[in-house]
Amino acid sequence: MIAEETLVQELKDQKSQAKAFEVLVNTYKERLYWHIRRIVLNHDDADDVLQNTFIKVYKNIDGFKGESKLYSWLYRIATNESLTFLKQKSKKLGIGDQELKDRMVENLQADVYFEGDAIQLKLQKALAELPDKQKLVFTMKYFQEMKYEDISEVLETSVGALKASYHLAVKKIEAYLKAD
Amino acid sequence: MKKDKKNSFNTPEGYFESFNERLMSRLGQEETDASESIIPKTDGFGVPPGYFETIGPTILSKTTTEKGKVIPLRSYPKFYYGAAAVAAVLIIVFGLNWNAKTDPVTFDDLANTEIDAYFEANASELTSYELAEVVALEDIQLNDMLEEDLNNEHILEYLDENVDDVRDLNLEEIDYE
Repeated sequence: MIAEETLVQELKDQKSQAKAFEVLVNTYKERLYWHIRRIVLNHDDADDVLQNTFIKVYKNIDGFKGESKLYSWLYRIATNESLTFLKQKSKKLGIGDQELKDRMVENLQADVYFEGDAIQLKLQKALAELPDKQKLVFTMKYFQEMKYEDISEVLETSVGALKASYHLAVKKIEAYLKAD
Repeated sequence: MKKDKKNSFNTPEGYFESFNERLMSRLGQEETDASESIIPKTDGFGVPPGYFETIGPTILSKTTTEKGKVIPLRSYPKFYYGAAAVAAVLIIVFGLNWNAKTDPVTFDDLANTEIDAYFEANASELTSYELAEVVALEDIQLNDMLEEDLNNEHILEYLDENVDDVRDLNLEEIDYE
């Protein structure tokens, strides 16, 4: 796998940019897809947001200063694009954020690309009850097994705050799953 | 033991200094506990077959115009030509305004005969509908333009001959009760 520093240099060089961008897409497409999917829940929406994310990355690569890791920057763009997508969706439907989240979870039951059982569906309902940031912390830590230090770079939150948020998220989800 | 000056409660030596470390350690332990909890290990999401093989080329097709060719992110010569054009326009507009008379010409400055002569010499390409759009109804003195005075009988006769559906007139409903 190409070193991140080398990849960034090649992305900023007009001659090697196309090839470097192809490497970037192939390296990160799956990880970013699952990160986005856990936010927007629906495959078609995740597909749209993923493409928009990479287009935004492509247009702004010259603005990447290298102060954070490349993948932290990618994750930040993907997160912002996903949350913006949801805001626009709720505005379009004329409903609030929470109602949108509830509808999205309800729609999972009929979603051909959701293969979860009853407990996995209930998990999604529990996650829909969490504040956006807390849900992100949980999914990035629990499902994507990211290190706190990396999550801290993406969400620009201290490690201590993240640990506390994750702890609370686990408690809330467990309580929800145990309830009838 | 550390003594608090304000009350008689004590704490073990180094209690506050080591607090953060002990807290983080406990939170780390609770992470391990979470992984053994009732929370499912997977979330049940799936993708269409072959999705990840096709999404890469799809993304690349939206960011390059043709194979191997990259859309330039910035085109410096075009930027400078554009900026120069805008600057030139601004200079011309500013210069014209600078030299303009302080007293603008209005229609009051023109004699009616001059206006009449203009319209006779220049056949207006505007249709009557287009003229009606720019001239307010209140400004039009219809009887000034007609050889005969327009009375209600003339109006009713015109409407009878030219209007198929009275609803097209958008008349307000008047409650006579």
